[in-house]
Amino acid sequence: MAAADSPSAALRRRDLCSRGIRLAGKMRSDVIDLLDTYVEQQGLDASASVAAVEGVPAAAAERWDEQTGTQRLLDNLAAYRAFRALLAQMLEEQREQLGEADAALGRALAAVLLQVSAFAYHLEELLRLESRGPPSEEGAGPPPPPHLSLFERKLRGLGVLRELAQWAVRSARDLRQLAKPGPGSSSAPSPAESP
Amino acid sequence: DSHIQYERVGTDVTMKCGSMDWDAAVTWTANGTDIDESHLNGSYLILKKVDLTQSGQYSCYEGSSWHLKYQTYLRVGTPPKEPLLMCRSNNYPKGFYCSWHLPTPTYIPNSFNISVIHGTKEMVCEKDVFPKNRCHIRYLQLFSTVKYKVTLTVTNALGKNSTTLTFDEFAIVKPDPPESVVAKPVPNNPRRLEVSWQNPSSWPDPESFPLKFFLRYRPLILDQWQHVELSDGTSHTITDAYAGKEYIIQVAAKDNDIGTWSDWSVAVHATPWTEEPKHLTTEAQVTETTSASTSSFMPPPTTKICDKGAVVGSGAVAVCWTAGLVLAAYGVLFI
Repeated sequence: MAAADSPSAALRRRDLCSRGIRLAGKMRSDVIDLLDTYVEQQGLDASASVAAVEGVPAAAAERWDEQTGTQRLLDNLAAYRAFRALLAQMLEEQREQLGEADAALGRALAAVLLQVSAFAYHLEELLRLESRGPPSEEGAGPPPPPHLSLFERKLRGLGVLRELAQWAVRSARDLRQLAKPGPGSSSAPSPAESP
Repeated sequence: DSHIQYERVGTDVTMKCGSMDWDAAVTWTANGTDIDESHLNGSYLILKKVDLTQSGQYSCYEGSSWHLKYQTYLRVGTPPKEPLLMCRSNNYPKGFYCSWHLPTPTYIPNSFNISVIHGTKEMVCEKDVFPKNRCHIRYLQLFSTVKYKVTLTVTNALGKNSTTLTFDEFAIVKPDPPESVVAKPVPNNPRRLEVSWQNPSSWPDPESFPLKFFLRYRPLILDQWQHVELSDGTSHTITDAYAGKEYIIQVAAKDNDIGTWSDWSVAVHATPWTEEPKHLTTEAQVTETTSASTSSFMPPPTTKICDKGAVVGSGAVAVCWTAGLVLAAYGVLFI
């Protein structure tokens, strides 16, 4: 705990947070572009409502302002690990669909997957700095893809990308909270000083 | 008994004199003035195609006794048209407000009911005391992809109407304009103006939810604005102002990541620094100089008009050099 509060650790945290905020900003911008491409290539209606998709981490948070720094990092990490698996699944499905028109979409999906992986790694670094260390990734791999029709898979993909775009905004906010000096940004409360 | 009755503009209105028979002899008044018998059908008062000017108190008196038999207050109006509703978050992430008004008046009292639904959850929009056509909601969740659906229903005695808005959390974020915009000239810099401003006071947490800014400025004599977008900081130095020209400057704000730009701030005016014309006074001072040292000779301030930034146009450069040589020669005479 003491190491997490040292001046060098504080500087490193601030640096990682700044870079993370920039990464999140770039990721959001690319996901929004990807959404446009996806909607067009998949022949979907951009305003289509998609019900909450099973297995997709929802960015929505209650009492967001009351979360501790560690909780923010853990929630973000869990989300981006899930998105990494979901995007890999989408990419696999995309390749199965084939077609020249989808090659650009496949490349855009792969680029975002790379950014999601990089961001997850970034979050792991921040957690290590909190002397907490990232939790191990449970399970042998991603959950088996649900048996869906092509149209259902397309809608699911829309839901995944929309939620990811939302997460990218939330992550930037989470990292800004983390970068703030003060009790809100620290991991666990420090143990009381012994008299 | 006194009544109120609401009738639609352009309709025909028939008023009965309470329980009086149709063939009873009565007198009707409108706001105390007798109504001509031509408007009566028996004891009924017939008002054809009523208009707004016919709103008022109508009284019916028994013919001979002048006993008041019936009284009503007629309010002529219209049923409500579809209301105009807008929702906005100027204090993100705390909450948002919705405000409404009718496109045309109804001339009779209206009541408003607003419902806000987020997914399956009904939320309470607390009505503001002032202005009274506004209510506000606290966000219970942030970063939700689920849309909000706001329905406003307006009702009066002649009918009802409603409108619905559907939006997501990010789309309605629009800060208030920046506050305390100040523009000042920069001493000894004829082409600069220093502009500073503050975050709008309604924006609760600019540290976690930073704003970016858009500055626009132009000299009063021109219509074309210059624009600068600034991703951080609450100040900016304009470096390409036209010397001596009064400028008008405004600033707008937007959340760094989501929503739309605020309205423009209140406009401020400023003129860049200019040299005070002291040409004659300074020459008189030079003739009194007795020192032999060239370093003590101060070129008259008028040479400062040759500063590159102050003069517009390349022709002025040749004039500057010539002026400089003349003045240098002048100075040498007095060493």
